[in-house]
Amino acid sequence: MLRKFGLAALAATVAAGAATAVTADTPKKGGTLVMVSSQVPRHFNPAVQSGIATMAPGAHIFATLVRADANWKIHPYLAKSWTTSADGKSVTFKLRTDATFHDGKPVTSADVKFSIETQKANHPFKTSLGAVTGVETPDAHTVVVKLKHPHPALTLAMSTSIVPIIPKHVYGDGQNPKTHPRNIKNVVGSGAYILKEYKRAQYILLERNPNYFLKGRPYMDRIIYKIIRDSSSRVIAMERGEGSLQPFMSEVASIARLKKDKDLVVTDKGYAGIGPNTWLAFNTKEGPTSDVRVRQAIAYAIDRAFITKELHRGVSTPSTGPIVPGSPFYTKEVETYDLNLKKAEALLEEAGHKKKADGTRLELTIDYLPAVPDVQQRIAEYARAQLKKVGIKVTVRNSPDFPTWAKRISNWQFDMTMDLPFNWGDPVIGVHRSYLCNNIKKGVIWSNTQQYCNPKVDQLLEAAGKETDQAKRRALYVEFQQILAQELPVYWISVLPYHTAYDKNLGNPPVGIWGIVSPMDDIYWKKQPK
Amino acid sequence: MTESTPAVPAEEPVVIEVERPWREVWRMFRANRAAVAGLVTLLLIVLVTVLGPFVYPVDPFAAAGPLLLPPGEQGFLLGTDQQGRDLVIGLLYGSQSTLTVGAAAAAITITIGILFGALAGYYRGWVEEVLMRITEFFQVLPPLLLAMVVVLLFSPSIYSISIAIGVVSWPATARLVRAEFLRLRELDFVKAERAIGARNARIIWTIILPNAAPPLIVSAALSVGIAILFEAGLAFLQLSDPNVMSWGYLISVNRPQILEAWWPVTFPGLAIFITVLSVSLIGDGLNDAFNPKLRQR
Repeated sequence: MLRKFGLAALAATVAAGAATAVTADTPKKGGTLVMVSSQVPRHFNPAVQSGIATMAPGAHIFATLVRADANWKIHPYLAKSWTTSADGKSVTFKLRTDATFHDGKPVTSADVKFSIETQKANHPFKTSLGAVTGVETPDAHTVVVKLKHPHPALTLAMSTSIVPIIPKHVYGDGQNPKTHPRNIKNVVGSGAYILKEYKRAQYILLERNPNYFLKGRPYMDRIIYKIIRDSSSRVIAMERGEGSLQPFMSEVASIARLKKDKDLVVTDKGYAGIGPNTWLAFNTKEGPTSDVRVRQAIAYAIDRAFITKELHRGVSTPSTGPIVPGSPFYTKEVETYDLNLKKAEALLEEAGHKKKADGTRLELTIDYLPAVPDVQQRIAEYARAQLKKVGIKVTVRNSPDFPTWAKRISNWQFDMTMDLPFNWGDPVIGVHRSYLCNNIKKGVIWSNTQQYCNPKVDQLLEAAGKETDQAKRRALYVEFQQILAQELPVYWISVLPYHTAYDKNLGNPPVGIWGIVSPMDDIYWKKQPK
Repeated sequence: MTESTPAVPAEEPVVIEVERPWREVWRMFRANRAAVAGLVTLLLIVLVTVLGPFVYPVDPFAAAGPLLLPPGEQGFLLGTDQQGRDLVIGLLYGSQSTLTVGAAAAAITITIGILFGALAGYYRGWVEEVLMRITEFFQVLPPLLLAMVVVLLFSPSIYSISIAIGVVSWPATARLVRAEFLRLRELDFVKAERAIGARNARIIWTIILPNAAPPLIVSAALSVGIAILFEAGLAFLQLSDPNVMSWGYLISVNRPQILEAWWPVTFPGLAIFITVLSVSLIGDGLNDAFNPKLRQR
């Protein structure tokens, strides 16, 4: 179903109030939530740093202008209401007057202006606020965001810690915000929790903000991120009840094991906004994969159903295009390349790759992102065995660490590589970057490293990035997905099997589109653990 | 000359057993049952390794059946691994790289070790100083870490891994060879050789080295076992050529599933254990056989 979250629709939803999901139980106060995590943050200021490690605790510490629910609906948070001008080029936010930072100073329009400007200047997601030309503050609680062109993803980007509101009186002291000492010590936000202690690579201790502007919340007294690097140890910690919530699980065996635990609930909800897409990217400029027929042949030889059902034992779902199925812009009306070895061989034959005496037609290499074997290495190895059947001799190249892989791929020294970029909610933020001609940037990882360039696609994306009418915008993205599925700069394989395991006694678990990258001010214990 | 030879007491014509030394070693070795068992096992493993690919000419990486099938089911003697690969095939093909790396790395270890040890022990003086300081430098570095660095510098392949293991394990051999040379160079037959004007190269390679051979052979046998363990360790850390099947690789890729499927990790582990054990037993047997004190048994 198509959910509305375009700007035009947003003004209408403002009346919905601050409530998120309505639950049958009345939430109870008190208790500690221990989360088991593998992520080690560099610091806690998500205005200048992307990545779940910073963004998740950042979303609890820093409040944002708006927030999102599980249905892509945007709700008020620091902003009481917002309106968009008729031309879509200016958005006016009215702020709450009772919100304060952890140090007692009020949250004002000056802080919002400062936050937006700092984010725009420093954050790696350039397109999230790329259309912003300026911020005006007519009074202490009104913010007017000026745009170059309508930016339909603006409020979605502002609904998670991609655009956190940071205090100007702390970070506006002239120091470089990327290396500001207060990013890690004495961090001040206006969110539901206050950072009490961080022991590097061991734990993060967050405590309830007693002066939180949403009265009565949060329900938890404390949130602890317990950092455990080894995946088996994390599973055992969950089984023994040392942790009550484990997000971002990608190990198939761990997911299967925790699903058997009757004290835990295991869900794949909470990742729709993040939109993790596992794919096989091609070098479309050089080598045999520059021929679209070779790319299609490879797609026909690799069976998504086998990968999701067998390799991932049904915990991941097939991904058929650049936009993940959880997104309102997703379409399944695309070429899906169901397993067909005959067709694959015919395409290779047509492309001029005749069978040699030893049965091979051509040779290719495949790389993969290290450290997440289930969603990378295993698929690469499966692809090697599959492609051998159609006469493609594939050499797997492993990379000892992330920089080795990133250097190879960003310098275009590859034929094929496995990868797992995120959609980040709106296509403007996470999808455009992989396919735009002007984002072919040598040396930059997660740019358009496929070097795919199609002016028609550029036009569609540019139009879709400005279109405020949700239906029209969707139509543009549908066409985009169909063209891409034909030309295959990337063969999309599966939506990563990210799962969250949590104690069944937890109420309001983080299953919204942003999962744990959200305020988490409504999670509570239905029954306190012993 | 003959006249001046001290007379062997004629009344007691000792019949020196003219058993050739190698034959004697073999006799002693044979007497050691554990060593013979090791030798037989190793020969079997080598035989299987050589013949295996002819009996089963398949792609060891290709899926042969359902994933994680327990041993014995659907005709898979040892079951299948997480990619549906037959573990019997995996073990058969895996032994190739394991044994190749083991042998090649041991050869490199011995070659470098002899070169450094022989030159240092024979020439002494500043040559010894320089060579032994280099040896010590390598000896104080943690071998596995150093091997990882070497493999990372080049991309992982059978060659780079053999070289890496060889490069980190030679210091012990070098010290052993040097000790032997220090002892032998003072002995009369070497002095005699020098006295008749033999060149240094001849003395080193044809006079002293053969006499230093026994401990070297033992050390070589043991270093094969150590090299196999190293190779498995590197593969376990994902530092192996992912296009070559090996036992360490099988353990490494199947480890995440160990809590529910023991077989894809256990069988390659057992294979490594048995191979290394048999190599060690052989080394031990050789040690006993060469040791003159034990020879009197």
